[in-house]
Amino acid sequence: MSGVTLDGIVKAYGALQVVHGIDLTVAEKEFVVLVGPSGCGKSTTLRMVAGLEEITDGDLWIDGRRMNRVAPKDRDVAMVFQNYALYPHLNVAENMAFGLRIRKTPKDEIKTTIDDVAEVLGLTPYLDRRPADLSGGQRQRVAMGRAIVRHPKVFLFDEPLSNLDAKLRTQMRAEIKRLHNRLGVTSIYVTHDQVEAMTLADRIVVMNDGRIEQVGTPMELFNNPANTFVAGFLGSPPMNQMKATLTDSGARVGDATIRLNGVSSAQTGRDVILGIRPEHVSLSPGEATSALPIALDLVEPLGSEALLHARHGESNLVFKAETRGDIHHLSGVGEVHVPAHLVKLFDATTGQALSLGS
Amino acid sequence: MRRLTLAAALLTGSAITTPAIADDHLRIVEEPLELTIQMNHARYPVYEEDWPVERVAREMTGIHLINDTVGANMRTDENTGRTEALNLMLASGDIPDIVGSSRIRDFVNQYGPEGAFVPLNDLIAEHAPNIAAYYAERPDIEAAVKAADGQMYYIPYLPDGKYGRAYWIRTDWLDALGLEMPQTVEEYEAVLRAFKTQDPNGNGEADEVPFFVRQWPELIRLVTLWDGRAHGSDTYHDFLVEDGKISHGYIGEGYRDGISNLARWYADGLIDAEIFTRGSSARDFLLSENLGGSTHDWFASTGGYNRLSSEIEGFRFEAFVPPASVSGKRVEEHRRILVKPDGWAIGYTNEHPVETIRYFDFFFSEEGRRLANFGVEGEHYEMVDGAPVFTQAFLDQGPVNRSLYQAGAQLQARGYYMDYAYEWQWTNEFAKAGIELYDQGDYLIPDFLGVAFTEDEQKVYDRTWGSIRDYMLERQQSWILGNGDVMADWDGYIAQLDGMGMQDLLEVMQSAYERQYGG
Amino acid sequence: MTDRNTDVGGIPIEEVVIEAKEALRDRSPARRGETSWTRLWDHLRREWQIYLMLLPTIIWFIVFLYKPMYGLQIAFKDYSIFRGVAGSPWVGWEHFETLFSNDQFLRAVKNTITISFYNLLFGFPAPIILALMFNEVLHATYKRTAQTIVYLPHFISSVIISGIVITAFSPTAGIVNTVLDWLGFDAVYFLTQPEWFRPIFVGTGIWQEAGFGSIVFLAAIAGVNPSLYESAVVDGANRWQMMWRITVPSILPTILIMLIIRIGNIMEVSFELVILLYQPATYETADVVNTWVYRQGLQSGQYDLAAAAGLFNAVVAFVLVMTANTLSRRFSRTSLW
Repeated sequence: MSGVTLDGIVKAYGALQVVHGIDLTVAEKEFVVLVGPSGCGKSTTLRMVAGLEEITDGDLWIDGRRMNRVAPKDRDVAMVFQNYALYPHLNVAENMAFGLRIRKTPKDEIKTTIDDVAEVLGLTPYLDRRPADLSGGQRQRVAMGRAIVRHPKVFLFDEPLSNLDAKLRTQMRAEIKRLHNRLGVTSIYVTHDQVEAMTLADRIVVMNDGRIEQVGTPMELFNNPANTFVAGFLGSPPMNQMKATLTDSGARVGDATIRLNGVSSAQTGRDVILGIRPEHVSLSPGEATSALPIALDLVEPLGSEALLHARHGESNLVFKAETRGDIHHLSGVGEVHVPAHLVKLFDATTGQALSLGS
Repeated sequence: MRRLTLAAALLTGSAITTPAIADDHLRIVEEPLELTIQMNHARYPVYEEDWPVERVAREMTGIHLINDTVGANMRTDENTGRTEALNLMLASGDIPDIVGSSRIRDFVNQYGPEGAFVPLNDLIAEHAPNIAAYYAERPDIEAAVKAADGQMYYIPYLPDGKYGRAYWIRTDWLDALGLEMPQTVEEYEAVLRAFKTQDPNGNGEADEVPFFVRQWPELIRLVTLWDGRAHGSDTYHDFLVEDGKISHGYIGEGYRDGISNLARWYADGLIDAEIFTRGSSARDFLLSENLGGSTHDWFASTGGYNRLSSEIEGFRFEAFVPPASVSGKRVEEHRRILVKPDGWAIGYTNEHPVETIRYFDFFFSEEGRRLANFGVEGEHYEMVDGAPVFTQAFLDQGPVNRSLYQAGAQLQARGYYMDYAYEWQWTNEFAKAGIELYDQGDYLIPDFLGVAFTEDEQKVYDRTWGSIRDYMLERQQSWILGNGDVMADWDGYIAQLDGMGMQDLLEVMQSAYERQYGG
Repeated sequence: MTDRNTDVGGIPIEEVVIEAKEALRDRSPARRGETSWTRLWDHLRREWQIYLMLLPTIIWFIVFLYKPMYGLQIAFKDYSIFRGVAGSPWVGWEHFETLFSNDQFLRAVKNTITISFYNLLFGFPAPIILALMFNEVLHATYKRTAQTIVYLPHFISSVIISGIVITAFSPTAGIVNTVLDWLGFDAVYFLTQPEWFRPIFVGTGIWQEAGFGSIVFLAAIAGVNPSLYESAVVDGANRWQMMWRITVPSILPTILIMLIIRIGNIMEVSFELVILLYQPATYETADVVNTWVYRQGLQSGQYDLAAAAGLFNAVVAFVLVMTANTLSRRFSRTSLW
């Protein structure tokens, strides 16, 4: 069972605590992505797993063994760094062989391993080159190759794609996914890019301010964000959030009312935050939709669809509308229609998700 | 502005000075004449117009010197003879009317014939009666200052007084060990040995340093105890002259025997183990730590160390006459040289050479010489029974030479004739006793006063002398330190020197000497 | 100096360079009909601020390096300060003949090269080793204190240094002989023994300069990407392996550049310190070209001879530095130019 378990992991630098007790279990072969804004503690958490940072409090288990005091090299993890951490004075083959040489792996074994991995990563023609003579994507592959040749129990990725341009990033993302499917090694992947998180992860861990906000599969998180932070972090563009007050027939947003079913009498009058995903509105009324008057600011065409930047009262909103290439008709839009069953409610003070009724 | 200062200086000057200068028999020019001067010396890097002596000289002669010194922050080094400031002045292409410096002789004797300085022979004969009178009395000195072309290019600083250095010994140690003052080299060795072995400082350790010096070449002078010669003048490692023949101390057999014995002394601990590296603080350190036994050093400053008697019980450091050598001769090789390579010269752009030489001559007149030696009457000295005597207030100001420099007197970058009386007045009693002791005998030997080369001679000298000197010094130190035996190495050493051109060198020295001093 | 590891704002340096080159190309279009002179003029007018910033350096070079080259000709003249450089007569190779027919000059050349070689052999690695050692010290206060202590001798004048050395090696009171005495050896008058001069001189040089010299290597080490070490830690490298496999190769370009510069200075042995420490008894091993020239120059200000010796030094240094640079470029792709 080569899973990873974090049990109340805390990191503090002197009096300053930056990670406030992380509980997380990564199952064997699972691909878990830690995502969050910069400074949220995701990289620190990963580095504690790698052993590059000391764990202040809590327990770290890898493969059923407590690892707090175990040296990095004995944790049987391999890490891919943001800037690749390739040795400039060594060629590709030597870079990949570095960890094996350190471990005194026999030479012929090193060679076969490297040839295999280079084949998988398409690096075979470049084995004699130095990192300086490689493109960004090739360097990224070498960095991964260096991790793969070690056959570790756990892969750790620290924002491996953030130095690549957008196109290459998409391509490498797919490659990582394929590799994981093929190798099936437990992986923890840190990124600030929610698209990477959504596309790669078996499960996503959303972190903020040194705490876990929510853990779940990408779709769980997308559909049922536990709080306004997660709601605002995932999705592109993220969920619109408006201040509202619950009434017995629904939620009052400025002058408009979104009709909702099942508001209990106890909930009436409560201040909430109303969440609407940009893709869930429609321009024409449908079944069980409520009209939301808007003032249209700007239309951004994206091809088959367009982004509508609009205002309702004090709230700036973004909606996605299908256009099939014709955006002229959007200029007259004065209201959008919100389907009641797709509206999310959050507590106005705590930001936690609310359910209606009870 | 300049006229104003001049007028002010004249006013203050006449207010202080006595009516003795009221008559202007020393006046050179009716209207005040301004001349520029470069004056550079380690102790007074620029000429200062408000030196009291200059103020009075200006008043007496009407000649006003204006400071035009370049390279004031460069040392014209007494020891190495480098004349950086003069070189800089020359390189700047602008030579002031008067140039005064230490170590000026070789400089003017090289660049004078090239046209940079005014030849002085005729000027002296026609316009400088005092200087001419001096040279008439001392033709050897006149010869010594001449360049190879027979011209004089500078007016020298002429030291007075006979003695420089002497042998000194801790007489209280002699008493403590019941020893007599050493009279011969054998006795001297016995005394030094007793200092080493019998613990005269009584601290229970054999830490005494029987013989020490501040400048290691002084050690080499001890070869005179074995009838050798070391330094032919007050310049270390200089050639020597004996009966009209130029030679060098370091090729003599007496030197060989001396070095052999000094090596033995060194091995036996009679000579400071750190003799070559102890340096200028040796005397100060070894005497005040009650370690040093005997040295060869200047009269006045060494005698002054008897002030240590207040700290060290019974301390007495006294001069003694040179011990008799193996052949019975008592020789003090060091003396005050008769003429220094210091002084002043006239730059080739000077439009008033006659006035300038008369100004130079002024310092050889009775009043001028007194001014250059003693400073200003009433301010620094008073006339007592017809002789100048420093005022007590002036003597109390601190080191007398320093006070005199500050007054503008005793400036060796000026050509003048020193009056030894100035020094005698404040020489300490131990030095005086030593000088009187040395005066009873006849220990001094003639100095080599130097030669000026023709261009061809200069080339031979340049090619050979540096290497020869280096080689001689290398061997000298090695032998004393016991790396090699001078007796065994001697023939090879002489052959090596000849191979390096020693004979050629002596030849050009001899021809230059004969030309200069008439053979 | 190429440090291929350096990133500028996360972008590999060569990409920045390429961008810069492209930007330059964009800004200087080679339009048809324009002469190269008008293009140059346009270029200067557009970029004059940059050339203005370059100006002080150019002036410095002209005044202090190129103009003095005019004076080099006195090596072939019978120079008189009064006659000036132009007015002194030519003598051809006479001064060089004087130099090379002088055994002591040849000995001084040999000594210079020998001392420099020892300096290179022992003095060059010293600051590198020191820098590597400092890099391994984790305790910040201790590290800072140690660094300050080893930097200090650099700021002491040679005169003081020589005083310290003379005292330390004094046969009667020196610490070295005191220790020898405890160990039962006889006192040695080190500074008058020719065989001891070079060890003492080179050792003194190391003591004085190794600390300060380590700064440039520490700076190079500080420029090594820290994730290289982290990656190596995860790969299981220990500190020794990281030093040899990461730190040393990473600062190798700096080491090579410093070595080339050092080789260029091979004829320049610290002249003041030799003057202060040597004795006629140690000329045999201590006399270097500069001290020999200094002593010769005393005689009659033989600037022409000194210039000839200086020119010889410069030619030797030039050949050495060119050779070292070429070798370095060929074998390690690192070079000064």
